[in-house]
Amino acid sequence: MTGPILEIRELRAGYGPRTVLENISMTLYAGDWFVLLGPNGCGKSTLLDCVVSRLLPSGGEICIAGHSLRTDPYDAKLQLGYGCAPDVLPGLLTARQCLEVHAGAKGMAAIGDDLFALADELKFTAYLESFVDTLSLGTRQKLAVLLALVGDPQLIVLDEAFNGLDPASALVLKRNLRARIERRRGALLLATHSLDIVEHYADRAAVLIDGRLKHAWSKDELQRLRAKGGDFEAALAGASGEPD
Amino acid sequence: MTAPRLAAAKLIRLNRRGHFIVRTVAVLFCLAALIALFWAEQDSLRPALKWVRLHGLLCAGLAAVGSALSIARRRALKRAEFARSWLAAVPVRSSTARWESLAIETFPAIAAIGLLAVFGAACALVLGLAGHAEIFAPLAIAAYSSGGIAVGIVGSYLVPQPKPVILPPGSRYVPHQKARRAADVRPSLRALGAWPIRQMFAWAQPKVVSRALIPILVMMPLGTTADVAMVVIAMFVTMGALLLLWSAVILASRAARSWLAPLPARRGVAIRAFLLPACAVIVAASAIEALLLLVFNVPYRTSAQVGACTAVIGCLTVGGALVWNLRDRRAP
Repeated sequence: MTGPILEIRELRAGYGPRTVLENISMTLYAGDWFVLLGPNGCGKSTLLDCVVSRLLPSGGEICIAGHSLRTDPYDAKLQLGYGCAPDVLPGLLTARQCLEVHAGAKGMAAIGDDLFALADELKFTAYLESFVDTLSLGTRQKLAVLLALVGDPQLIVLDEAFNGLDPASALVLKRNLRARIERRRGALLLATHSLDIVEHYADRAAVLIDGRLKHAWSKDELQRLRAKGGDFEAALAGASGEPD
Repeated sequence: MTAPRLAAAKLIRLNRRGHFIVRTVAVLFCLAALIALFWAEQDSLRPALKWVRLHGLLCAGLAAVGSALSIARRRALKRAEFARSWLAAVPVRSSTARWESLAIETFPAIAAIGLLAVFGAACALVLGLAGHAEIFAPLAIAAYSSGGIAVGIVGSYLVPQPKPVILPPGSRYVPHQKARRAADVRPSLRALGAWPIRQMFAWAQPKVVSRALIPILVMMPLGTTADVAMVVIAMFVTMGALLLLWSAVILASRAARSWLAPLPARRGVAIRAFLLPACAVIVAASAIEALLLLVFNVPYRTSAQVGACTAVIGCLTVGGALVWNLRDRRAP
C-alpha cells in the first residue's frame, strides 16, 4: 500500500442546520500517528464520526485505503477500526460476544493471537465472560480499544481512548499502538486533550478550532519542538491564537 | 435562587417551548373528544354517575389510600434522587426547601385533583346541555374524590417510608452460559440475536413482574379457582413477554445502529441476525397463547387464529422496526 491511508477532502458536516465542520482536508500516510487537538466542542468527535461513518457529511469526500466511504463503504470499513465511547457498547452482551460480532462483521475466521496478548497485557482477559454493563469505565474503555483493533485494520480511529485507563494500561496501549502502526504500515487518528501523547508518540498533530483546521504540525516540526525540550502547551496556545 | 429544583424544572419546560402549540392543540383536542364521548354516551353515563355517587365514601376512601401510598413512595424516590442531584449542594433556606419538597412530592396528587375537576366540569356541562337533572352529580363525585386525595396527602406522612427501588444491572437476570476459554471466540453476528431477548429478561426483573401482577390478582373476582388464576397469570406473562420483546428489539436495534455503523456488516445480515431469534421467541409465545386459549375453552379454530395473528403481527412489526432502525442513512 503506497497511497494515503486516510484522505479527507473539503469535508463539511453538521447537525441539522448547524454546520460544525467546514472545508476540512487532511491526509494520513502509512506509519502516521496523527493527533487531533482542540477545545471542547470544536468538532473533533464530529470529524471522527464522519471518518467512521457514524455521521454522514453534507459535503466532501473521505477515502480509507483508497476506498471511498460514500461509494465503496464495505471495502473502506474493512480497513477501519474504531474505538467507540464506552457508553455505546451493548450492556447485555459479554465482552467476548462484542469481539465475536466485530470479527464476524469483518468476515474473519478467527481473532489473531496478538489481540489476546494485548488483552492479557491490559489485564482484560478475566473480563471476557462478563457482561458489559457490569464492567467499570476503564475496563469498558479497554474493550472499546480492543474492538477497534479486531482484524488488524490499516486505519485506527480513537476518540479520547486513554480516558479512564490506569497509567500502566495507558502506557501498554500507547506502546502497542506505536508498534502496531509501524508493523502494519497503518495509521492512527486520535482525538485527545492529552499533550503528553503529542510530546512522546505523535508523528503529526493538528488543532481544530470552530470546525476548521487552524494549524498543523509536521513530523519535522514536532521533532524540532521535542529537541528544544519544547513547551507543547505554549505551542498549542500560540496555534489556537491564545495569549501564552 | 429561592427554590432551585422548581426553577430548574421551569427552565427545562421553557427550553421545550417549541412544542407548546402542538401540546395546547393536543390538550384541547382531548378535551373536545372527552366532551363528545360523554355526549354520545350520556344514557349510560347517568346510571354510572348515580352508582358512583351512591358509593362516594368508598371512592373517597380508595382515593385517600391510593394517594397516601403513592405519595409516600414518590417522597422516598425524590429524596433519594435529590441526594445525588446536581442541585444537592445548592444552599436553600429550610423553609423554602420544605415547601419546595412538598410541591414536588404532591405534584401528581394536585394534578389528579385538577383532572378530576376538568372531568367533573365536562360531565356537568354535557348533562346541563342535555337538560338532565343530575348536573351536580359529577361535581359531587369530583369533590369526594378530591377530598380523598387531599386526605391521602396528609396521610402519606403516616405511612412508613418505603425503601427506594434500586434495580440491579439488567444482566443479573439474563440466563447465561458460564466459563468458556478465551480461545473459543468464534467470529459471528449471532450474539446480536441474543441482545433483544436478554433485554427482555433484563426488564422483566422479579420486582417489576411482581408489581405488574398485583393489578391482575386484584381484578380477579372472588371465587376464582387456582387453575383459572394460573392460566390468567400465564396469559399475562406471555403477552407481557411479547410486548417486552417487541420493545427490546426496537431499543437494541436503535443502539446497534450507532455501534455497528463503523463495521462492514451487510445490512441484510445484521437484520437477519436480530430477526431470527426474536421471531422464534414470538412464534413460541404465540403458540403458548393459543394453547392457553384452548385451556380456557375457546374453540380450537379461534385459538389457532389468535395465535397465528399474534405471530404474524409480531414478526412483521419486529421486522419493520429492524428495517427502519438499521436503514441506510442519507446525507443531510
